[in-house]
Amino acid sequence: MIAAVIVIWAIVAALAVAVNRREGVNGLQAAGRTALQTGRALMIRLPLALLAASFLMQVLPVAALVPLIGPQSGLTGILLASLVGGLMPGGPMTSFPLALVVLEGGAGVPQITALITGWSVFAIHRVLAYEAPIMGWRFVGLRLACSVILPVVAGLGAEALVILMP
Amino acid sequence: MRLKTSDLVFLGLAIAGAFACWQQGGWPLVRAGLAEAAGLLLLVAPQLAAGLLMGGLIARLVSHDRVAALLGSRSRIRGLLLAAAAGAITPGGPFTSFPIVHALWVAGADAGALIAYLTAWSLIGLNRMIVWELPFLGVEFTLVRVLVSLPLPILAGLLARVLVRSPLLAMNKAPAE
Repeated sequence: MIAAVIVIWAIVAALAVAVNRREGVNGLQAAGRTALQTGRALMIRLPLALLAASFLMQVLPVAALVPLIGPQSGLTGILLASLVGGLMPGGPMTSFPLALVVLEGGAGVPQITALITGWSVFAIHRVLAYEAPIMGWRFVGLRLACSVILPVVAGLGAEALVILMP
Repeated sequence: MRLKTSDLVFLGLAIAGAFACWQQGGWPLVRAGLAEAAGLLLLVAPQLAAGLLMGGLIARLVSHDRVAALLGSRSRIRGLLLAAAAGAITPGGPFTSFPIVHALWVAGADAGALIAYLTAWSLIGLNRMIVWELPFLGVEFTLVRVLVSLPLPILAGLLARVLVRSPLLAMNKAPAE
Protein backbone atom coordinates (compact mmCIF):
# COMPACT_ATOMS: atom_id res chain seq x y z
CA MET A 1 0.00 0.00 0.00
CA ILE A 2 2.76 2.45 0.97
CA ALA A 3 4.74 1.38 -2.11
CA ALA A 4 1.73 2.09 -4.33
CA VAL A 5 1.39 5.62 -2.90
CA ILE A 6 5.09 6.30 -3.45
CA VAL A 7 4.92 5.06 -7.07
CA ILE A 8 1.85 7.17 -7.79
CA TRP A 9 3.37 10.36 -6.36
CA ALA A 10 6.63 9.68 -8.22
CA ILE A 11 4.60 9.59 -11.46
CA VAL A 12 2.90 12.87 -10.49
CA ALA A 13 6.31 14.44 -9.86
CA ALA A 14 7.68 13.21 -13.20
CA LEU A 15 4.64 14.55 -15.06
CA ALA A 16 4.94 17.88 -13.24
CA VAL A 17 8.59 18.19 -14.28
CA ALA A 18 7.62 17.47 -17.89
CA VAL A 19 4.81 20.06 -17.85
CA ASN A 20 7.06 22.62 -16.17
CA ARG A 21 9.74 22.12 -18.80
CA ARG A 22 7.27 22.59 -21.62
CA GLU A 23 4.91 25.28 -20.32
CA GLY A 24 6.46 26.64 -17.14
CA VAL A 25 4.48 27.66 -14.06
CA ASN A 26 1.44 28.61 -16.15
CA GLY A 27 1.05 25.01 -17.29
CA LEU A 28 1.30 23.75 -13.71
CA GLN A 29 -1.34 26.21 -12.57
CA ALA A 30 -3.67 25.19 -15.38
CA ALA A 31 -3.18 21.51 -14.46
CA GLY A 32 -3.98 22.32 -10.82
CA ARG A 33 -7.17 24.13 -11.84
CA THR A 34 -8.29 21.12 -13.93
CA ALA A 35 -7.58 18.82 -10.98
CA LEU A 36 -9.62 20.98 -8.59
CA GLN A 37 -12.51 21.18 -11.03
CA THR A 38 -12.64 17.40 -11.50
CA GLY A 39 -12.26 16.86 -7.75
CA ARG A 40 -15.00 19.23 -6.65
CA ALA A 41 -17.68 16.72 -7.63
CA LEU A 42 -16.22 14.24 -5.12
CA MET A 43 -15.88 16.39 -2.04
CA ILE A 44 -19.27 15.58 -0.48
CA ARG A 45 -19.82 12.30 -2.28
CA LEU A 46 -16.71 10.44 -1.26
CA PRO A 47 -16.96 10.72 2.55
CA LEU A 48 -20.65 9.73 2.39
CA ALA A 49 -19.88 6.80 0.07
CA LEU A 50 -17.13 5.48 2.34
CA LEU A 51 -19.39 5.83 5.35
CA ALA A 52 -22.24 3.94 3.66
CA ALA A 53 -19.95 1.11 2.49
CA SER A 54 -18.29 0.74 5.89
CA PHE A 55 -21.60 0.47 7.76
CA LEU A 56 -23.12 -1.93 5.24
CA MET A 57 -20.07 -4.21 5.27
CA GLN A 58 -20.52 -4.67 9.04
CA VAL A 59 -24.03 -6.11 8.67
CA LEU A 60 -24.39 -7.81 5.24
CA PRO A 61 -24.61 -11.62 5.59
CA VAL A 62 -22.17 -12.51 2.83
CA ALA A 63 -21.24 -15.95 4.20
CA ALA A 64 -24.89 -17.03 3.82
CA LEU A 65 -24.31 -16.89 0.09
CA VAL A 66 -21.78 -19.71 -0.07
CA PRO A 67 -24.17 -22.70 -0.46
CA LEU A 68 -25.82 -20.98 -3.45
CA ILE A 69 -22.61 -20.53 -5.45
CA GLY A 70 -20.84 -23.87 -4.98
CA PRO A 71 -18.77 -25.55 -7.72
CA GLN A 72 -21.84 -27.51 -8.89
CA SER A 73 -24.10 -24.47 -9.17
CA GLY A 74 -23.18 -23.92 -12.83
CA LEU A 75 -24.68 -21.06 -14.83
CA THR A 76 -27.25 -20.18 -12.15
CA GLY A 77 -24.46 -19.78 -9.60
CA ILE A 78 -22.42 -17.72 -12.07
CA LEU A 79 -25.36 -15.38 -12.74
CA LEU A 80 -26.11 -14.98 -9.05
CA ALA A 81 -22.45 -14.38 -8.20
CA SER A 82 -22.16 -11.75 -10.97
CA LEU A 83 -25.15 -9.89 -9.55
CA VAL A 84 -23.95 -10.05 -5.95
CA GLY A 85 -20.48 -8.93 -7.04
CA GLY A 86 -21.93 -5.90 -8.79
CA LEU A 87 -23.85 -4.84 -5.70
CA MET A 88 -20.98 -5.39 -3.24
CA PRO A 89 -20.00 -2.03 -1.76
CA GLY A 90 -16.44 -0.95 -1.08
CA GLY A 91 -13.00 -1.17 -2.66
CA PRO A 92 -10.48 -4.03 -2.86
CA MET A 93 -9.70 -3.65 0.85
CA THR A 94 -13.18 -4.95 1.65
CA SER A 95 -13.97 -7.16 -1.35
CA PHE A 96 -10.86 -9.39 -1.47
CA PRO A 97 -11.07 -10.39 2.19
CA LEU A 98 -14.74 -11.20 1.50
CA ALA A 99 -13.88 -13.21 -1.63
CA LEU A 100 -11.46 -15.20 0.51
CA VAL A 101 -14.19 -15.96 3.06
CA VAL A 102 -16.52 -17.13 0.29
CA LEU A 103 -13.82 -19.20 -1.46
CA GLU A 104 -12.70 -20.91 1.75
CA GLY A 105 -16.36 -21.47 2.62
CA GLY A 106 -16.63 -23.72 -0.44
CA ALA A 107 -17.81 -21.61 -3.38
CA GLY A 108 -16.68 -22.67 -6.88
CA VAL A 109 -13.76 -21.08 -8.75
CA PRO A 110 -15.94 -20.12 -11.79
CA GLN A 111 -18.49 -18.55 -9.46
CA ILE A 112 -15.87 -16.53 -7.55
CA THR A 113 -14.40 -15.46 -10.89
CA ALA A 114 -17.86 -14.19 -11.89
CA LEU A 115 -18.23 -12.49 -8.49
CA ILE A 116 -14.93 -10.64 -8.78
CA THR A 117 -15.60 -9.76 -12.43
CA GLY A 118 -19.08 -8.47 -11.54
CA TRP A 119 -17.65 -6.46 -8.68
CA SER A 120 -14.85 -5.14 -10.95
CA VAL A 121 -16.95 -4.00 -13.90
CA PHE A 122 -20.30 -3.01 -12.33
CA ALA A 123 -19.09 -1.72 -8.96
CA ILE A 124 -22.25 0.25 -8.29
CA HIS A 125 -20.47 1.97 -5.47
CA ARG A 126 -17.61 3.15 -7.70
CA VAL A 127 -20.11 4.27 -10.35
CA LEU A 128 -21.98 6.49 -7.90
CA ALA A 129 -18.92 7.75 -6.06
CA TYR A 130 -16.51 8.44 -8.96
CA GLU A 131 -17.71 7.57 -12.46
CA ALA A 132 -21.05 9.41 -12.64
CA PRO A 133 -19.75 12.68 -11.14
CA ILE A 134 -16.65 12.72 -13.36
CA MET A 135 -17.86 11.18 -16.65
CA GLY A 136 -21.65 11.70 -16.59
CA TRP A 137 -24.53 9.23 -16.73
CA ARG A 138 -24.54 8.75 -20.52
CA PHE A 139 -21.02 7.31 -20.37
CA VAL A 140 -21.97 5.15 -17.38
CA GLY A 141 -24.98 3.79 -19.30
CA LEU A 142 -22.90 2.90 -22.35
CA ARG A 143 -20.17 1.26 -20.29
CA LEU A 144 -22.62 -0.81 -18.24
CA ALA A 145 -24.41 -1.94 -21.43
CA CYS A 146 -21.06 -3.15 -22.81
CA SER A 147 -20.16 -4.88 -19.53
CA VAL A 148 -23.35 -6.82 -18.77
CA ILE A 149 -22.10 -10.05 -20.37
CA LEU A 150 -18.51 -9.88 -19.10
CA PRO A 151 -18.95 -11.61 -15.69
CA VAL A 152 -20.89 -14.45 -17.29
CA VAL A 153 -18.27 -14.84 -20.06
CA ALA A 154 -15.51 -14.87 -17.43
CA GLY A 155 -17.38 -17.39 -15.25
CA LEU A 156 -18.04 -19.77 -18.16
CA GLY A 157 -14.44 -19.33 -19.35
CA ALA A 158 -13.14 -20.23 -15.89
CA GLU A 159 -15.42 -23.27 -15.81
CA ALA A 160 -13.97 -24.48 -19.13
CA LEU A 161 -10.43 -23.78 -17.95
CA VAL A 162 -10.92 -25.63 -14.65
CA ILE A 163 -12.21 -28.69 -16.53
CA LEU A 164 -9.29 -28.56 -19.00
CA MET A 165 -6.57 -28.43 -16.36
CA PRO A 166 -7.75 -29.87 -13.06
CA MET B 1 -21.41 23.05 -3.14
CA ARG B 2 -24.89 21.62 -3.44
CA LEU B 3 -26.21 18.17 -2.73
CA LYS B 4 -27.14 16.08 -5.77
CA THR B 5 -29.49 13.11 -5.90
CA SER B 6 -26.75 10.52 -5.58
CA ASP B 7 -25.31 12.39 -2.58
CA LEU B 8 -28.71 11.95 -0.95
CA VAL B 9 -28.72 8.25 -1.92
CA PHE B 10 -25.40 7.80 -0.13
CA LEU B 11 -26.60 9.82 2.84
CA GLY B 12 -29.66 7.55 3.02
CA LEU B 13 -27.52 4.40 2.69
CA ALA B 14 -25.15 5.64 5.38
CA ILE B 15 -28.01 6.34 7.78
CA ALA B 16 -29.70 2.99 7.02
CA GLY B 17 -26.36 1.20 7.42
CA ALA B 18 -25.65 2.93 10.72
CA PHE B 19 -29.14 2.00 11.94
CA ALA B 20 -28.65 -1.66 10.92
CA CYS B 21 -25.29 -1.71 12.75
CA TRP B 22 -26.87 -0.23 15.86
CA GLN B 23 -29.67 -2.80 15.82
CA GLN B 24 -27.33 -5.77 15.34
CA GLY B 25 -24.45 -4.83 17.57
CA GLY B 26 -25.29 -1.58 19.35
CA TRP B 27 -22.86 1.32 19.57
CA PRO B 28 -19.65 -0.77 19.34
CA LEU B 29 -20.60 -1.91 15.80
CA VAL B 30 -21.54 1.65 14.77
CA ARG B 31 -18.17 2.81 16.10
CA ALA B 32 -16.42 0.02 14.14
CA GLY B 33 -18.12 1.23 10.95
CA LEU B 34 -17.14 4.84 11.65
CA ALA B 35 -13.54 3.87 12.37
CA GLU B 36 -13.34 1.87 9.14
CA ALA B 37 -14.74 4.78 7.10
CA ALA B 38 -12.24 7.19 8.65
CA GLY B 39 -9.39 4.77 7.98
CA LEU B 40 -10.44 4.33 4.35
CA LEU B 41 -10.69 8.09 3.84
CA LEU B 42 -7.16 8.56 5.19
CA LEU B 43 -5.96 5.75 2.91
CA VAL B 44 -7.70 7.10 -0.18
CA ALA B 45 -7.13 10.86 0.19
CA PRO B 46 -3.42 11.01 -0.79
CA GLN B 47 -4.02 8.75 -3.79
CA LEU B 48 -7.08 10.72 -4.87
CA ALA B 49 -5.12 13.98 -4.79
CA ALA B 50 -2.37 12.33 -6.84
CA GLY B 51 -4.88 10.97 -9.36
CA LEU B 52 -6.54 14.33 -9.88
CA LEU B 53 -3.16 16.01 -10.37
CA MET B 54 -2.15 13.24 -12.79
CA GLY B 55 -5.28 13.84 -14.86
CA GLY B 56 -4.65 17.59 -14.94
CA LEU B 57 -0.98 17.20 -15.88
CA ILE B 58 -1.67 14.59 -18.59
CA ALA B 59 -4.21 16.98 -20.12
CA ARG B 60 -1.37 19.55 -20.51
CA LEU B 61 1.06 17.04 -21.99
CA VAL B 62 -0.91 15.15 -24.63
CA SER B 63 -1.91 16.82 -27.85
CA HIS B 64 -5.47 16.39 -29.07
CA ASP B 65 -4.40 15.25 -32.54
CA ARG B 66 -2.08 12.57 -31.22
CA VAL B 67 -4.60 11.08 -28.79
CA ALA B 68 -7.34 11.23 -31.43
CA ALA B 69 -5.08 9.37 -33.89
CA LEU B 70 -3.98 6.75 -31.34
CA LEU B 71 -7.25 6.25 -29.43
CA GLY B 72 -9.94 7.93 -31.54
CA SER B 73 -12.91 6.27 -33.25
CA ARG B 74 -10.77 5.44 -36.30
CA SER B 75 -7.96 3.82 -34.30
CA ARG B 76 -9.30 0.31 -35.02
CA ILE B 77 -8.28 -2.63 -32.84
CA ARG B 78 -4.82 -1.17 -32.23
CA GLY B 79 -6.38 1.71 -30.34
CA LEU B 80 -8.31 -0.72 -28.16
CA LEU B 81 -5.21 -2.84 -27.46
CA LEU B 82 -3.20 0.26 -26.58
CA ALA B 83 -5.97 1.56 -24.28
CA ALA B 84 -6.30 -1.84 -22.59
CA ALA B 85 -2.53 -2.07 -22.02
CA ALA B 86 -2.51 1.44 -20.54
CA GLY B 87 -5.43 0.53 -18.28
CA ALA B 88 -3.72 -2.62 -17.05
CA ILE B 89 -0.61 -0.73 -15.91
CA THR B 90 -2.38 2.32 -14.42
CA PRO B 91 -1.59 2.27 -10.70
CA GLY B 92 -4.04 3.20 -7.96
CA GLY B 93 -7.79 2.99 -7.52
CA PRO B 94 -10.73 4.77 -9.13
CA PHE B 95 -9.36 7.98 -7.68
CA THR B 96 -6.49 7.81 -10.19
CA SER B 97 -8.11 6.06 -13.16
CA PHE B 98 -11.21 8.23 -13.59
CA PRO B 99 -9.37 11.56 -13.72
CA ILE B 100 -7.10 9.98 -16.36
CA VAL B 101 -10.08 8.67 -18.35
CA HIS B 102 -11.62 12.13 -18.20
CA ALA B 103 -8.40 13.70 -19.50
CA LEU B 104 -8.21 11.16 -22.37
CA TRP B 105 -11.86 11.82 -23.25
CA VAL B 106 -11.26 15.56 -23.47
CA ALA B 107 -8.12 14.86 -25.51
CA GLY B 108 -10.01 12.93 -28.20
CA ALA B 109 -10.19 9.23 -27.25
CA ASP B 110 -13.43 7.54 -28.34
CA ALA B 111 -15.93 5.54 -26.27
CA GLY B 112 -14.41 2.20 -27.32
CA ALA B 113 -10.92 3.15 -26.14
CA LEU B 114 -12.19 4.69 -22.86
CA ILE B 115 -14.22 1.59 -22.06
CA ALA B 116 -11.39 -0.78 -23.04
CA TYR B 117 -9.12 1.23 -20.74
CA LEU B 118 -11.52 1.14 -17.78
CA THR B 119 -12.39 -2.53 -18.25
CA ALA B 120 -8.71 -3.49 -18.39
CA TRP B 121 -7.91 -1.35 -15.37
CA SER B 122 -10.73 -2.91 -13.33
CA LEU B 123 -10.26 -6.53 -14.48
CA ILE B 124 -6.56 -7.09 -15.14
CA GLY B 125 -4.97 -4.10 -13.39
CA LEU B 126 -1.48 -5.17 -12.31
CA ASN B 127 -1.52 -2.95 -9.24
CA ARG B 128 -4.64 -4.50 -7.73
CA MET B 129 -3.51 -7.99 -8.69
CA ILE B 130 -0.17 -7.64 -6.89
CA VAL B 131 -1.41 -5.74 -3.85
CA TRP B 132 -4.70 -7.54 -3.21
CA GLU B 133 -5.55 -10.59 -5.30
CA LEU B 134 -2.32 -12.63 -5.13
CA PRO B 135 -1.94 -12.30 -1.34
CA PHE B 136 -5.61 -13.05 -0.64
CA LEU B 137 -6.65 -15.60 -3.25
CA GLY B 138 -3.37 -17.21 -4.30
CA VAL B 139 -1.51 -17.81 -7.58
CA GLU B 140 -3.73 -20.55 -8.97
CA PHE B 141 -7.02 -18.69 -8.68
CA THR B 142 -5.50 -15.43 -9.89
CA LEU B 143 -4.03 -17.15 -12.95
CA VAL B 144 -7.36 -18.69 -13.96
CA ARG B 145 -9.24 -15.44 -13.46
CA VAL B 146 -6.72 -13.28 -15.32
CA LEU B 147 -6.43 -15.72 -18.26
CA VAL B 148 -10.18 -15.73 -18.90
CA SER B 149 -10.32 -11.93 -18.41
CA LEU B 150 -7.56 -11.02 -20.91
CA PRO B 151 -9.86 -10.72 -23.98
CA LEU B 152 -12.70 -8.97 -22.12
CA PRO B 153 -11.45 -5.33 -22.38
CA ILE B 154 -11.20 -5.68 -26.19
CA LEU B 155 -14.65 -7.30 -26.29
CA ALA B 156 -16.14 -4.42 -24.25
CA GLY B 157 -14.36 -1.84 -26.43
CA LEU B 158 -15.67 -3.40 -29.65
CA LEU B 159 -19.19 -3.56 -28.18
CA ALA B 160 -18.91 0.09 -27.18
CA ARG B 161 -17.99 1.12 -30.73
CA VAL B 162 -21.12 -0.66 -32.01
CA LEU B 163 -23.53 0.39 -29.26
CA VAL B 164 -22.44 4.04 -29.21
CA ARG B 165 -24.01 4.43 -32.67
CA SER B 166 -27.49 3.71 -31.31
CA PRO B 167 -29.29 6.95 -30.32
CA LEU B 168 -30.19 5.49 -26.91
CA LEU B 169 -26.56 4.99 -25.87
CA ALA B 170 -24.85 7.80 -27.81
CA MET B 171 -22.19 9.65 -25.81
CA ASN B 172 -22.24 13.32 -24.99
CA LYS B 173 -19.61 15.43 -26.71
CA ALA B 174 -16.40 15.67 -24.71
CA PRO B 175 -16.24 18.81 -22.58
CA ALA B 176 -13.96 21.48 -24.01
CA GLU B 177 -10.51 21.91 -22.44
